[in-house]
Amino acid sequence: MKDTIELILRREGESTRLVSPSVGVFTCALEPGALLGPGQVAGVLTASGKSLKLVTPPAVCGRIANERPERVQQPVGYGTTLYELSPIESAGVGAGAVESGSPENGLILYADQAGRFYRRPSPDEAAYVEEGGKLEVGMAIGLIEIMKTFSQVLYEARGGLPPRAKLVRWFADDGAEVREGDPLLEVE
Amino acid sequence: MFRSLLIANRGEVAVRVARAARELGIRPVGIASEADLGASWTGFLDEVVCVGPSAPQDSYLRIDRIVQAALQTGCAAVHPGWGFLAENSVFAAICAQHGLTFVGPGPGIMERLGLKIPAKSAMAAAGLAGIPGSEGLLDSLDEAREVAERVGYPLILKADAGGGGRGMRRCLGPEQLAEAWSQASAEAQAAFGNGSLYLERYLTGGRHIEVQILADNFGHAIHLGDRECSIQRNHQKLIEESPSPALSQDQRESLGLRAAAAAASIGYSGAGTVEFLRAPDGQLYFMEMNARLQVEHPVTEQVSGVDLVQQQLHIAANESLELMQSDVSLSGCSIECRINAEDPSRDFCPTPGRLEVFEFPTEAGPGSLRVDTHLQSGDEISPYYDSLLAKVIAHGNTRSEALETMLTALGAARIEGVATTLPLHLAVLASEAFRRGEYDTSSIPGWEAGAAAD
Repeated sequence: MKDTIELILRREGESTRLVSPSVGVFTCALEPGALLGPGQVAGVLTASGKSLKLVTPPAVCGRIANERPERVQQPVGYGTTLYELSPIESAGVGAGAVESGSPENGLILYADQAGRFYRRPSPDEAAYVEEGGKLEVGMAIGLIEIMKTFSQVLYEARGGLPPRAKLVRWFADDGAEVREGDPLLEVE
Repeated sequence: MFRSLLIANRGEVAVRVARAARELGIRPVGIASEADLGASWTGFLDEVVCVGPSAPQDSYLRIDRIVQAALQTGCAAVHPGWGFLAENSVFAAICAQHGLTFVGPGPGIMERLGLKIPAKSAMAAAGLAGIPGSEGLLDSLDEAREVAERVGYPLILKADAGGGGRGMRRCLGPEQLAEAWSQASAEAQAAFGNGSLYLERYLTGGRHIEVQILADNFGHAIHLGDRECSIQRNHQKLIEESPSPALSQDQRESLGLRAAAAAASIGYSGAGTVEFLRAPDGQLYFMEMNARLQVEHPVTEQVSGVDLVQQQLHIAANESLELMQSDVSLSGCSIECRINAEDPSRDFCPTPGRLEVFEFPTEAGPGSLRVDTHLQSGDEISPYYDSLLAKVIAHGNTRSEALETMLTALGAARIEGVATTLPLHLAVLASEAFRRGEYDTSSIPGWEAGAAAD
């Protein structure tokens, strides 16, 4: 039976936080100053009578910078910050691979509406278009769900994009939340 | 009475239930997704537990997390609101397992009412006839042909587990039956994992009329009159009123009493709604029973003076219903307009965004006014949830007084930042057909396709 659950990593600018992956009572918190590495157990979350060990996700490394919670049994919600990490001197984990997804150059189609983006017409159908596939103006590339209403996202030659193109790379995952102006895909 | 109540919902209904809880001295505790954290409506709650990211299946539909949230905040009861888990019998059962009182009927009743055929036969046994159709589920296309000959065309095939128009096919004549059968069955299988179908006579130009009932845990049930909800678009209700202009006083009383008796006979408890279809020939057919509070409950509250959410909480706390049928007096007329973040001039396309200005008058003559909303000027409307912004509810001693009050209220409303359905409401209220009370579910009076174009 599964008895561990992974903490969720939140990186915003300089700060690295590990937040609760569910609702429950947080116990066995580690002390400030302790070092945390990938796969390490960092407390226990108890929910509906079941206790799960909280595990540090891969590629996370740091020194715990925050105090332990006031209560030994601390009720927490999804996303409640459990640990704030400060970088360990000379640790280089996590740099490198992360940056490859940034849409710095190339021809990018951006979302013109906020919502949830899907790459396929329905969960058991194939994607509208795969990486390497051809795009044409007016062709459906995905679905966007806004307030429970689904509408097709069409390829448009706006922002200097060519009328015909090849899909190089997706930025928006299937089922991802997108905001207006978020990159959806790169073409050439 | 409970000391703390977990409200397992968001937005307008969370605020509505929190208000009733507070009036009864109960501490309202809420849940929110990450997208809703910090939204102004969460300020109406004493405490809020974040239960997951924005997608409903990861937050507002996560039974395990919601139950845990109730337990760790010291709540004794859970109110599901409407939508999300409100009619989920598994949720009701898990709450009970953890010693939490679910504000609503028991899981057994809810499950029976959730499936079309058991609901129909339970209510038929209690004296409420459904639309003529198959006795139960159809085993084969051949059986469907036989039943279709008896019931007559046009007819409609429906999925037993159906909802939201999926697994439904209209059929005008016998030559269309085979194709409709395979399509509806495949669609139902894909959508609900259950391809079972039944069929009914297809009625056009019907009116949607429903009866509000209240039943306690000791077999006592009353009704609080009816509501008319025929002004709809894509099965979404837009305007509701109580009483229905289509029923005579005698019909109204008889329908209400029969609905309450049927609810009592199946062992229902809590607030519930029995929905009927009124055919153009005046015949009333049972459609379904909703085991929850309805969005449009305020019109009933205005004409009856009864607070339905408070009653739900009293009933859930095992109190006997104090109201007798003879105590219920229905007075005047109440109309509700649902203001949605949809642009009626662009085919009702959803319009999330920032509400720059969002103001309704607090009073409007000649009747009285109520506005139920969870939003205020400056709020952000997120794209992840439904588009209901506010419900404007107007009461008058007569229908025309209620109508006049509504027109004054909507005329004085100021909404800027996003397009809303306000213009649609003004057009409907001004139409002759609506004023006469002569409308049905097939069209929206005063709102033609042409008018929508510009």
